[in-house]
Amino acid sequence: MGGLYLESRLDFLRRTQNADGGWGYFPGKGSWFEPTAYAMLALHGRPGSEADLDRAWKLLRSWQLADGSFRPSGQVREGTWVTALAVTLATVRGVDDPRVRHSVDWLLQVVGAEHDLAMRAASFFHLIKTKLDVSHEGWPWRNGNASWIEPTVHTLVALKKAGKQYRTAEVEYRVRDGEKLVWSRRCSDGGWNCGNPNVLNFDLPSYPETTGLALLGLDGWSEQQLQGTFDVARRFRSETQSSLAKAWLQIGLRCHGQQLEAPLESAPENPLTSKDIMLAAIQALGHPEGNYRLFLAAGEKA
Amino acid sequence: MTRRKFAGFTAAAIAGTYAGLKLQKPPKLPDGPAGKSPVAIIRARSYSDDLVSRMLAGIRECGLDVRGKRILLKPNLVEFDPATVINTDAAVIAAALETFERLGASEVKIGEGPGHRRDTLDLADDARYRAAVPKFETLFTDLNRDDVSSIGSFAGESDFYFPHTVLAADLIVSLAKMKTHHWAGATLSMKNFFGVVPGSVYGWPKNKLHYLGISESIVALNRQFRSKAFAIVDGVVGMEGNGPIQGTPKPTGVLVMGRDLVAVDSTCARIMGINPEKLTYLAMAADLGHVHAGRIEQRGETIASVRTNFALIDEYKDLRLA
Repeated sequence: MGGLYLESRLDFLRRTQNADGGWGYFPGKGSWFEPTAYAMLALHGRPGSEADLDRAWKLLRSWQLADGSFRPSGQVREGTWVTALAVTLATVRGVDDPRVRHSVDWLLQVVGAEHDLAMRAASFFHLIKTKLDVSHEGWPWRNGNASWIEPTVHTLVALKKAGKQYRTAEVEYRVRDGEKLVWSRRCSDGGWNCGNPNVLNFDLPSYPETTGLALLGLDGWSEQQLQGTFDVARRFRSETQSSLAKAWLQIGLRCHGQQLEAPLESAPENPLTSKDIMLAAIQALGHPEGNYRLFLAAGEKA
Repeated sequence: MTRRKFAGFTAAAIAGTYAGLKLQKPPKLPDGPAGKSPVAIIRARSYSDDLVSRMLAGIRECGLDVRGKRILLKPNLVEFDPATVINTDAAVIAAALETFERLGASEVKIGEGPGHRRDTLDLADDARYRAAVPKFETLFTDLNRDDVSSIGSFAGESDFYFPHTVLAADLIVSLAKMKTHHWAGATLSMKNFFGVVPGSVYGWPKNKLHYLGISESIVALNRQFRSKAFAIVDGVVGMEGNGPIQGTPKPTGVLVMGRDLVAVDSTCARIMGINPEKLTYLAMAADLGHVHAGRIEQRGETIASVRTNFALIDEYKDLRLA
């Protein structure tokens, strides 16, 4: 199987599932949608995990609201960007029912607030002192806020996977426009930060983890189109000390078929990050034998 | 549209440009609460100085009693760049931990929720927090990913959520960094409260605060937590120019402390050569604490003895204190 690196993380996930079926960000904490979704993806298809994943899916579905969105935890009343993760999970689990389609409806009606008429008018009259293309819609963390790279990427992943049978033309339009937004937010150094490449004529630097995520959102683009981006991502991967960034970079690069060496099987444990459930799940997903392909529209392409 | 008017409503550029369409009148400062607020300015020329004894002296000057209280140390952890000084220095956090333990706090924890970066734990490692603070991994909570509860209505929402670690603390110590800020003019002890808003609910960055307006958000958060707040501002080495991330180090050699965070930030601004009455958020917070110099009891050093003008980007030149 996947060796110590992968198995230790999968085992950690199995041991930290909460009684309600979900996972917290850290052991012993309440369940949240985000770590639960990544843990489910990491454990998907692993022998003996089916019943645990069914319990987790049942919990997450109980967090769906009447408008089709999903709450980020049982404590929070409002639906957020995690709705994109719900749609991705549904496609992975082969669920295509009215509730999933209602979530797709919600994603299609959510637009980054910077795209509204007032902002576009301000842009037209050069009142915006940032190099920001507001012509694209994108997706925010919460409805009514501006669009950012990470929620946009996760929605692109979800819609590319779910939009093959439902509202295909609208999905196609939003996907293409969302990809344009990702490209428009690229930093001058070739990578991406959380969403803003320039403030008041000062170029902002890109971040490793967001660069890895951006690659994920550009699934379907050719190696030739992305070559410069691969170079930046590879450089980040070799330089960054961030475990989370390395994991997202590995997923992003592997999803584009880029060959990477496997992580060290016995790297020293960092007591600060070793209890991070979300990190463990994303690291497991990014392993050569991990489930990173589940983020792809085709599912098994790379 | 000037940058200050623009920035008065924004933090991040996307939200900022959106909100920048609004106009804002110059605020008129109220007198503030009755009485005067003590603020201690303690010299600390280097992070290798005995910071604990300096903090003890400053806290004593401010009359703070923490015996039996649960303390949350809230540093300013934003980004890591070895070439500059973005974050509260690890030595300041370690010293604060020892200080409050010595003063008899029942519990001292550390928590932060960075605005842009999701890898808080690695960021803390980069900033040498784990290396400098004993048992850091057992004391630290990523406030972006803590469990949350609603406090009810706040910031225009019927339900607003804060981390349990924040809600459980008896005293939140804002361990801020003395920096210029390209949207707010300066970022000090009050803006540091942005880090208590959980990214797991509000995203990275915490866009809700940007749409509310950066100054409005600073004031709202401090109104919420003012009854259990204390400030220790790390001005040993501050940041000038294009802060809060891309500025340059500015050795200032001070720790600034107090219970009235409006007075602490006003004092810091004067040390930086910035007129606090021209900082929009302080003008808006003038009913929460004291901005006027005559209402602040300066303890320890005088402002004049430690003042060193921080370089300001062009759009904030008019903030300069005469």
